[in-house]
Amino acid sequence: MIAADEYEKAKEGDRKAIEKLCLATWESLYRFIYYKVQNREEAEDITQETYVKTLNSLQRNKAPRENFLGFLKTVSLNVIRDRWRQKKRGGILVNFQEIMPEETAGRDQQDDLAQRLMLESALAGLSREQQTILDLRIIKGYSVAETAKLVGKTEGAVRIGQYRALQTLAKILDEQDLKDRCY
Amino acid sequence: MVKHSIEEKLSDYIDALNNEQESEVLQTNNDRELAKLMATARLVRTLREPAMPEEGYPRRLAQAVAGKIQKEKQDSPRQPVKSPPKSIKRILTPVAAVAAGLLMLVFLNWLGLFNQDVVYAMDKAVARLSSYHGILEMRTENAKGEEWLVRRVEIWSEDDKYAIKNDDGTLTINNGQQKWQVSHEKKEVALLPLLPDPARSNFDLRDEAKGAKHYPHIIAGSELIAGRKTTKLVISPPGGMEYYLWVDTETNLPVQLQTAMQNALQTTYTFVALELNTEIDPQIFAYQVPDGYQIVENNPGQLVTTIEEAAAISGLTPLLPKQAPARILAFQDRIVLDYGDTTIMETFSEGDFELSAGASLGIAAGGPLEVRQERLRWRQNGIEIQVEGAQRMELAGQIAADLTIPNAGQNLVSKAQVKVSVDREIVEADQKQVDRGSSPWQLDPLQVSLTFVNLKVTPEGIQGEPEIPMSSFKLAMNNSAEAVVEVADGPIRRVYLKRLVRQDETGIWSVTGYDPR
Repeated sequence: MIAADEYEKAKEGDRKAIEKLCLATWESLYRFIYYKVQNREEAEDITQETYVKTLNSLQRNKAPRENFLGFLKTVSLNVIRDRWRQKKRGGILVNFQEIMPEETAGRDQQDDLAQRLMLESALAGLSREQQTILDLRIIKGYSVAETAKLVGKTEGAVRIGQYRALQTLAKILDEQDLKDRCY
Repeated sequence: MVKHSIEEKLSDYIDALNNEQESEVLQTNNDRELAKLMATARLVRTLREPAMPEEGYPRRLAQAVAGKIQKEKQDSPRQPVKSPPKSIKRILTPVAAVAAGLLMLVFLNWLGLFNQDVVYAMDKAVARLSSYHGILEMRTENAKGEEWLVRRVEIWSEDDKYAIKNDDGTLTINNGQQKWQVSHEKKEVALLPLLPDPARSNFDLRDEAKGAKHYPHIIAGSELIAGRKTTKLVISPPGGMEYYLWVDTETNLPVQLQTAMQNALQTTYTFVALELNTEIDPQIFAYQVPDGYQIVENNPGQLVTTIEEAAAISGLTPLLPKQAPARILAFQDRIVLDYGDTTIMETFSEGDFELSAGASLGIAAGGPLEVRQERLRWRQNGIEIQVEGAQRMELAGQIAADLTIPNAGQNLVSKAQVKVSVDREIVEADQKQVDRGSSPWQLDPLQVSLTFVNLKVTPEGIQGEPEIPMSSFKLAMNNSAEAVVEVADGPIRRVYLKRLVRQDETGIWSVTGYDPR
């Protein structure tokens, strides 16, 4: 729990108050950002930038104290989007927006869980072999060669397998999305 | 120019994600399908536990943020400065900074001395503690900062006697002679074995003082806990995770304990009320069955005065250390010797001696010795012996003269004829998976060897029963950091394994070499 006067001290640049704010909230914020960017270094940078932007905002009394973490998450989405725009100008296309709509900022634990359940149910729609390949390659992080060895297939077959698995999964997710919008 | 297929580009992207490379290293060249599949891969990856920053990141982050905020305030002429600058950096000249550094050294030294004083005083206070009555609350907090009350218990403790009353009114009492539990809901009194006794509260004043004394610790500041002024200690058990202990500055006794965050949960035990050296009504520890209550006997055993009596009740002739026990407990099938902080349990050997997964392997009575945390287990003369507690080495050594515990510094795996390269990042990712409760087989060197050897035999994958069965694998050595597994059949004679991430029972094993047959 962060006391109201800690916000006051933090916006004045008080090291201890800033430390308290960061220590109390960094992990949830970092996890939120990591889920978006899937990269440790980037998540660390964005976490830092988010705090700086939020504290600057606090100086203008704009940050809501009741849901400070929610506010941090919204700021972090803007930071991610700004970075994406900068990269896009440089000729690189990474479509963050497709997986991070604005409304995710206010998402609470239940929504996270709902997304997880939706994803797990979509994965269940894949064949056993496709599920194994995605589990080994993406969730467990094995290389193509290691995955090939573990599932008894050639490396080429694993590449094609993961491509088809992701294609099918994207299709199921699109259908789920449509279904969700219909009801 | 080589033109990569979409399958290859996608695969490279997954590799980049797995290697924690920046997600934009791969271009999609406006290929909408590829971009969509990459997004789907990222979405699947959200099911994986995030790669967390290195230790010390939160503090570094806080410092960096504070530094930037202060700098921005300094650089902004319009910003009115409401309070004098608080940063040491801004006040001190370089010479003064050196002086401050020296002062800091002196201060840290002083903390070191003071730190010893806190623990020394706590040790003394605990030694003087004859009884206490308190209310202990257990609260758990998750990684999101949400906190809830798990349990609140009332404790009466006097010498080796205690009574614990749970939220639901269930009362567990151990009066040194008997142990029983009274359930008002079921209207029954259950007689329980006196020893071993896992029912003691998780946060015992005496145990915690002992832990703080034995483990490295530093002072983290002072705080007000349940209305009392306390000193906060950070305790670092070797190979374990840091935890915190708050010691009352007035009584010098611990009043709060906080575990490390494990599996995104952290538990805090707080004595919200505590009376020390107070007179406890002896009726609390008196065995009495309320009217209308049923007695349930749960093989409670009985206290006896001589080993002969214990032998007559249990039917086994126990192997005894030179040191005499404080108490002897006899059951129909076992004998328990109580040495206060250590217990010896002896039973008949039945079936094969199987090592628990994750245990280290030593030698006792010419055979295998299982070493697991504070517990030693082996077989001798048809009896299975288990010694648990602080004096385990000494007492076990008095029973088995050849007692040898594994030496973690001993290099077992360098002898491997064929070395196997290991990808550290994959091992770390696997360790995180196991920490979350998946693939526990990776904690067992035999299971890891079985998978490794069978994949050598059938590189196309293990279909159904493995070709080289588990019965062919035998643990030859395990010093908790390294292990050697002997294989009776197949192309590999010996497998060498290491715990690369953590060298305790929670660390996974990786194959680092083998000897071909």
